[in-house]
Amino acid sequence: MKPLAITGLGVVSPFGVGRAEFARALENAEESSARAFSAAHTVLTDARFANARLAEVRDFDATVFLGDKGLRNLDRATKMLVVAAKLALEDAGLKKDGAFTSLPSERIGICAATAYGSLDSITEINRVAELEHPRYLNPSRFPNTVINAAAGYVSIWEGLEGPNVTVVDGNCGGADVVLTAETHLACGRADALLVGGFEVLNEPLYLAFEKLGIVSQGNEMSSPGVVASRGTHLGEGAALVAVESLRRARERGAHVLAELVGYGTAFEPPVSAAQLVHASDEAVERAVRAALLDASLASSEIDLVVCAESGVNLMDLAEEEGLARVFGSDVATVAAKGLWGETFGAAAALGMAASLVWLAGAKPAPLLRGELRRPVRTVLVTTMGYYGNVSVVIVKRAS
Amino acid sequence: MTRRVFVTGMGVVSSVGLGRQAFWTALVEGRSGARPVTSFDTTELGRDRACEVTDFRARDHLTTAEARRVGRCSAFAIAATRMAVTDAGLDTSQLDPARTSVILGTTMGEVDVISELESAWLHGGEQAVDRAKLARYGTTLLPIHVARAVGARGLVQTLPAACAAGNYAIGFASDQIRAGRADVVITGASEILDKVQFAGFVRLGAIAPERIQPFDKQRKGLLIGEGAGILVLESEEHARKRGATLLAEVGGYGLACDAHHITRPHPTGKGNITAMRAAIASSGLTPDQVDFVNAHGTATAANDQVESLVMHEVFGARRVPISSIKSMIGHCMGAASALEAVACVETTLTGLYPPTIHYEEPDPECDVAVVANKVQSGKHDVVLNNSLAFGGYDAVMTFARPGVLPPPPGADE
Repeated sequence: MKPLAITGLGVVSPFGVGRAEFARALENAEESSARAFSAAHTVLTDARFANARLAEVRDFDATVFLGDKGLRNLDRATKMLVVAAKLALEDAGLKKDGAFTSLPSERIGICAATAYGSLDSITEINRVAELEHPRYLNPSRFPNTVINAAAGYVSIWEGLEGPNVTVVDGNCGGADVVLTAETHLACGRADALLVGGFEVLNEPLYLAFEKLGIVSQGNEMSSPGVVASRGTHLGEGAALVAVESLRRARERGAHVLAELVGYGTAFEPPVSAAQLVHASDEAVERAVRAALLDASLASSEIDLVVCAESGVNLMDLAEEEGLARVFGSDVATVAAKGLWGETFGAAAALGMAASLVWLAGAKPAPLLRGELRRPVRTVLVTTMGYYGNVSVVIVKRAS
Repeated sequence: MTRRVFVTGMGVVSSVGLGRQAFWTALVEGRSGARPVTSFDTTELGRDRACEVTDFRARDHLTTAEARRVGRCSAFAIAATRMAVTDAGLDTSQLDPARTSVILGTTMGEVDVISELESAWLHGGEQAVDRAKLARYGTTLLPIHVARAVGARGLVQTLPAACAAGNYAIGFASDQIRAGRADVVITGASEILDKVQFAGFVRLGAIAPERIQPFDKQRKGLLIGEGAGILVLESEEHARKRGATLLAEVGGYGLACDAHHITRPHPTGKGNITAMRAAIASSGLTPDQVDFVNAHGTATAANDQVESLVMHEVFGARRVPISSIKSMIGHCMGAASALEAVACVETTLTGLYPPTIHYEEPDPECDVAVVANKVQSGKHDVVLNNSLAFGGYDAVMTFARPGVLPPPPGADE
């Protein structure tokens, strides 16, 4: 792909809100992670979930950023995404004091990924339908069950009239939106796009992944890339980067934080027709090679891999194997999900957000494998779906 | 970005028939799929009709293993995909798997699965939740199931763009072929009728009591439909090499967002105007070359009025024929614009404009050239598919008879 400029970041995460706070938390990643997981969570209210270990966005208050009018019908996921969008637009200088600067509203859009972003609202509506009667559904909350509603509210709130796209590719969405953005920018449908993902914690989500054996229980070990690990912890958050062509970014004098230079994807289904959940090392290898080819980079030019490993053995082993086939075993690898948990559709977006901080010179969080041989100039971010799908993006220091 | 993209096969699951031919025959004859809902109890909801798919049996189209692991939405998609692949004369064993992608639209995906799971949880507690069923939920499963059915190993993507999802998916699929990232893409959309969604639209006051009358002065809202429309898109090179029949060329498309209201269109139609102009211009065309518009035409008061304004704004004094097949198959949500895309391709092939049935009293607020009640025929070089959606979405695309469109412009900077 033709390199694209990342000119801003908006992030709402267990590691803080906004680029500066997020970067500060990443400086002491282990400490920040311990803090994120240690405090009692508030999002799952049933006593049944009291012992769940979660990285929640604590004390998230959208009114601080958006004021207290007009938020009534926005669910938690939407509020996070709207705040991330507002911060990204300001960070990129696309907006100043709430007004558009150099680009008109029709030329700015959003490409957001999520896997289960509307589950909160679907459950809220189902609760009324099941326990009372469907005729009591709240019509002003009903539109939130549609998974693109969050991105729709971003456009309403921030006045973005360019393409508004939601991508649902399970865990891979946060990487796949890079392809979405690259495509729409190359086709001239927009001049700048907010690109990333969002996911929020809620009871049905936790319960589902607990029952599926993805979430580690009680005091069971959870550690990415470790064979003794018995599952992952869940997290939440929203991250959006502002993306535009390098030429456009230069023209408007924007500060280029980094460049998006490559994307690759692959799907390998399980051999058995009856099987559904599947982790494929072959898909990892193929997607990584496709991204390298797309970026015209050799594997030796990747300084850091931000992997998708989360503590789920089946997935982690396949990923490690696939990565080793491309890089050997000594490429510096960091498991971002070890810091703030599994965030599904938001994972690659948070991974890209962290990459910006590490490309800017911060020491990468504790390495899972390998060692850094030089300052980080190129980062490869991987995602891995539960059904055999893998997508990869490559972020490079601004030239 | 200079490769041409063609539709080479189509498959349909709809309330008026299964398969491309049955679907098109029903539309041309003006048959309605509206009837009382059978899949759930509508008592006390105040509305009882929908355009439900009643003659679909998963076992006729799916393997036993597939039938076990998929929900109804994916079953529709797999069935329509098999029909489309057969229609295209495509031998899937000859495909280059990594150059074959699946990009599908939907609004709610496997909503029957999540409804069952949540119902079990809310009534019976967590013990009642079936673990095996959990793995069957996930909007992303829709294209995964289809990719497995055809052996695709490239991009596997869901674009949940609500009622514009079909156009989003088909458009993005064409982008991937033009950009050289894929040679063949299975695309389109699938949607199923669901009780909660039905009740939600009732509560929004959007459901008509009996019939759906787009652009009519007495229109009383929509009827919900369900189904799937799947298209096989191929690069010109790939299609020609295997001697495929080119059904229609996929032109350009336009996307915009009203940034106005979560469910209502902008009163001036500004996003729709932007998207429609972009669709025409990116096809290398001018508005005077559009022969027919397949309307969004939901028969809600706001939609049809705004869509009529948009027609005047884009086409000026020229009264371009417009019709809404939703009058027959209902509003199939995410699948709507995919099913309409199938109809658009049929129009480019036959020169027939499917009717808007139940059109009785013209509305001065909707002063457009509605194809009223009976099929019409006319020029069919370029057909435009219009769609709007929750979220303020506007997505418009064009289809053309092979040989009509100018060489694609180099869209790269």
